Amino acid sequence: MLPPHRERARRPRSVRAREWVRRNLFPSARGTLLTALAAAVLGGITYGLIEFIFFGANWEVITHNRWLLFAGGFPREEAWRLWVSIALVFSLIGLAYGTWSSLGRRDHLFVLLVGGFVIFLMAHGGAAVWSSVYFLIAVGCMYLGYLLTYQLPRATSSLRTLQVRVVGGLLILALPIVLVLLLVGGNVGIRDLDGFVLNLILAPVGIVGGILIGIPLAVGRASNLKTISWTCTAYIEIVRGAPLLGWLFVALFILDDIIGGDLIIRAMVVMAVFTGAYMAEYIRGALQALPRGQYEAGQAVGLSQWQRTRLIIMPQALRISIPPMVGQAISIWKDTTLVTVILPLRELKGNADSAISQFEFTPDRIEAYVFVAVIFWIVAFMMSRISQRVERAQGVGER
Amino acid sequence: MSAQAPAPPSPSPGGPAPSESVPLFYRRGFRRLLQQGLYVAATGLLFWYIYDALNLREFGFGFLSDPAAFKVANQWLIDIDGVTNSRINMYLVGVWASLRVVFVAILLSTVVGIVVGVSRLSSNWLVARMAMLYVEVFRNTPLLVQVVLVYAIFLVGAPLIQNSQEIGDFAFISNRGVAIPWPVPDAGWWGAPDWFVGVWVALFIAIGAIAMTVRRRRQDRERETGQPQYANRWAFGIFAIGALVTFIVLGLPVSIDKPIIEVGTTTRYLEGMVIRPEFAALTIGLTLYTGAFNAEIVRGSIQAMPRGQTEAANAVGLSAYQRMTLVILPQALRQMIPSITNQYLNVNKNSSLAYAVLYDDLFRVAGIIQNKAGHALEMFFVIIVTYMLISLVISAVMNFINARVTRVGV
Repeated sequence: MLPPHRERARRPRSVRAREWVRRNLFPSARGTLLTALAAAVLGGITYGLIEFIFFGANWEVITHNRWLLFAGGFPREEAWRLWVSIALVFSLIGLAYGTWSSLGRRDHLFVLLVGGFVIFLMAHGGAAVWSSVYFLIAVGCMYLGYLLTYQLPRATSSLRTLQVRVVGGLLILALPIVLVLLLVGGNVGIRDLDGFVLNLILAPVGIVGGILIGIPLAVGRASNLKTISWTCTAYIEIVRGAPLLGWLFVALFILDDIIGGDLIIRAMVVMAVFTGAYMAEYIRGALQALPRGQYEAGQAVGLSQWQRTRLIIMPQALRISIPPMVGQAISIWKDTTLVTVILPLRELKGNADSAISQFEFTPDRIEAYVFVAVIFWIVAFMMSRISQRVERAQGVGER
Repeated sequence: MSAQAPAPPSPSPGGPAPSESVPLFYRRGFRRLLQQGLYVAATGLLFWYIYDALNLREFGFGFLSDPAAFKVANQWLIDIDGVTNSRINMYLVGVWASLRVVFVAILLSTVVGIVVGVSRLSSNWLVARMAMLYVEVFRNTPLLVQVVLVYAIFLVGAPLIQNSQEIGDFAFISNRGVAIPWPVPDAGWWGAPDWFVGVWVALFIAIGAIAMTVRRRRQDRERETGQPQYANRWAFGIFAIGALVTFIVLGLPVSIDKPIIEVGTTTRYLEGMVIRPEFAALTIGLTLYTGAFNAEIVRGSIQAMPRGQTEAANAVGLSAYQRMTLVILPQALRQMIPSITNQYLNVNKNSSLAYAVLYDDLFRVAGIIQNKAGHALEMFFVIIVTYMLISLVISAVMNFINARVTRVGV
C-alpha cells in the first residue's frame, strides 16, 4: 500500500489534470466566480492588446527608425565595432553560464523568442540582412562559449580555479574592453554613443562604478574612526536624499565647473556616484549581518586589518549583498532613461521621442513607448533571471 | 588609507600593553590619529578644490524673492499668478503640487500592493498568475516610460474636449483630463457664508474622534469581559448618524458641483474638478510602478509568516477572508512597514518625473527658476532640502504607524 500522495500520483494523467483544474480554478461557487471574473479581465486585456498590436498600431515608427533607436548618431561605417562588442558580451554571457550555471529549456525559449523578435524587427522593411546575420553570429558566440565551458568538470581542482579566474577576470574587464573597442581609433567620439547603445553603456558604468565607490563607503561608514564614519554617512544620506533627476541637474549645471569633461562623462560620474551610495547601504547591511566571530577569527589568526577586510569580511559581505545589489542594478538600468529628461542626451527613450517628432509619425506615440518598454523589460527580466542563477550558484541564503 | 572594520579596539590578550616600550609609530592611538589626520586633510583638499571651482562669490538666496514672471499650471485650491508673486511663492506652489501627487500615489499604490500581493498567494491559479504577470511587467519597465505611456494614451487615445466621452451623466473624459463632480461650499438653508463649511468639517472630525474613542472603549471591554461589544458597528453608527445630523442641522453647507463643458473661443470645463492628464499620468504611473514593488513586499512578509499562524486560524474555524484580515495581514504589517516606508520615500523622489510630462511640481518649477535666474547651486540646495523634508515627514508618519502596529496588545 503506497502513501496517499504516491497513490494520487499513480492515477492517469487526465484524472490528475481534471483534479488540478478543479482544485486550482473551480474549488467552490465563489472560486468559480473569481476565476470567471479574472478570465473576463484577462480576456479583455488580451483582446485589447491583440487588437492594438496586430490591427490598431502602426509599427512603421519603429521599423523606419531602427537605427535611430538602436544607435542614433553612431556613425554607420563604424557599425562593426558595435557588432564585435555585442558578440564579445554575448560570448561572455555564454562563458559565465557554462562556468557557474546551465541553460535550461526556458532559457533556450527566451533566447529563441528574443532572437526572433530582433530578427523580425530587422527583417521588417528589408535592407538589414547583414544585421540579422551578425546578430545570429553573436548568439552563436554565446552558445559557443557556453558549450566550451559547460563540458569542463565542475569539481574543485586547479583547472577549475583557473577557469573561474579567467572567466571572472574577463567579466570584470568586459566594460573597459568594450569601451576601448567602441571609442579608440576610428572616428567615433564619445558623444556618438546614442540610442539604446547609450543605455547599454551607462548602466554598466553606473553599476561597476557604484560598486567600486560603494565598497570603501560601506567600510568607511562602519569604521570606528569618527571622522571617516561621519563623512561616509553624510555622503550616503545626502546622495540618497535627492532623486537621480536632481543629481543629473547637478551634472548639467554644476559639475561642469568642477570636473568639466563631456556631458556623457559627467552623466556617467553622476550615475556611479548615485549608485555608490545605494550599493554602500546594501554592503553595510551585509557587513552587519556577518557574525562577529568572523572578525574575531580573523584577529585570532593574526591577520592585519587590511587582510581581514580583504580576505575574510568582504568576500562574504559581497556574497550576502548580491540580491539587493542586483535589484539596484536593475533599478539603474531603468534609470538610464532619466538622462533624457533634463540632459540633452538621447538614449532609447529620447530617440523614441525624436522618432515621434517626425511629421509622419506624430500619432504613433503609444507604439514608440510600448516598444521602448518592451526592450527595457527584456533586459531587466534577463538581469533578474541571471541574478536568481547567481544566487543559487553562490549559495546565498545557505549555510 | 585603510578604514577600520566595525570591530571595537579590543586589547589583544597577551599582547604587549601600550607602554613606553612600543615605538610611537606603532601605538594604536597614534595610528588612529595619523589615519584620521590624513583623511581629514584629503577630504579638506577635495572640498577646497570644489569650493574653489564653484566660484561662490554670488552665492545667495536673494533672487528667490524677485517676481517670478512665469506661469504655473496645475494649481489646486490656490490660484496665484506669477506676475506679482515672488519666485519662492511659485516654488511653494510646486511643492504643493508634488505633495498632492505623492499623497495620492502612496495611498493608491498601497491599495494596489495589498490587493496584488495577496492575489499572488491566491489558491486560484489564474488570479495568482495574473498578479505575477502584473508584477513582472511593471517592475521591470522604467517608470519614466510608464508615465509617458499613460500620458501618450491620454493625448492620443482620449477624444478632443468638444467630443468628451461622457460617463453616466456626471463626468467627462477628454485629452484635457477627467472632469468629475466635486463638493463645494454652499449657502445652504441658513444662507451661510463659505467658511461655514469649516464648522461642519470641524464637527465632522470631532465626531470621528468620539467614534474612535467609543470603539477603543468597547474593544477594551470586549477583551476584559469576553462578551461581544460590536465596537466597529458602534463606531460606524455614531460616525454616520452624527455626520448626517450635523450636516442637516447646519443646513446642508456642501453641494456637489457637476462639471459642464463651456464652448467658446477656448472650450474648457467649468465647475466640478478637473484631473489633468499630467497629474493623472504621473499618479497612475507612480501607482502602477510602486504597486508592483509593494505587492512583492506584501507577498514576502505574508510568506515569512510561520505556517502555524495559518493553521491556527484554520483550527479556530476562520474563513479565508477572516484569516487574511484578522490573523495574517495584521502580523505581516509589522514586517512590511520598513520596506514599504522605503517605497514611499521612493515615491517622493520619483515624483520628480513630473518634469517629463510637464506637470509643474517642485522640481520643474525649480528648473524654470534656474532657467530664468541661474543660481543652479542654490536651486539644487533648495530642491534637496525640500525632498529631504518631505522624506522626513513620511518617515516620521511611518515610524508613528510602526510604533502603533508593533505594540502587541495581548
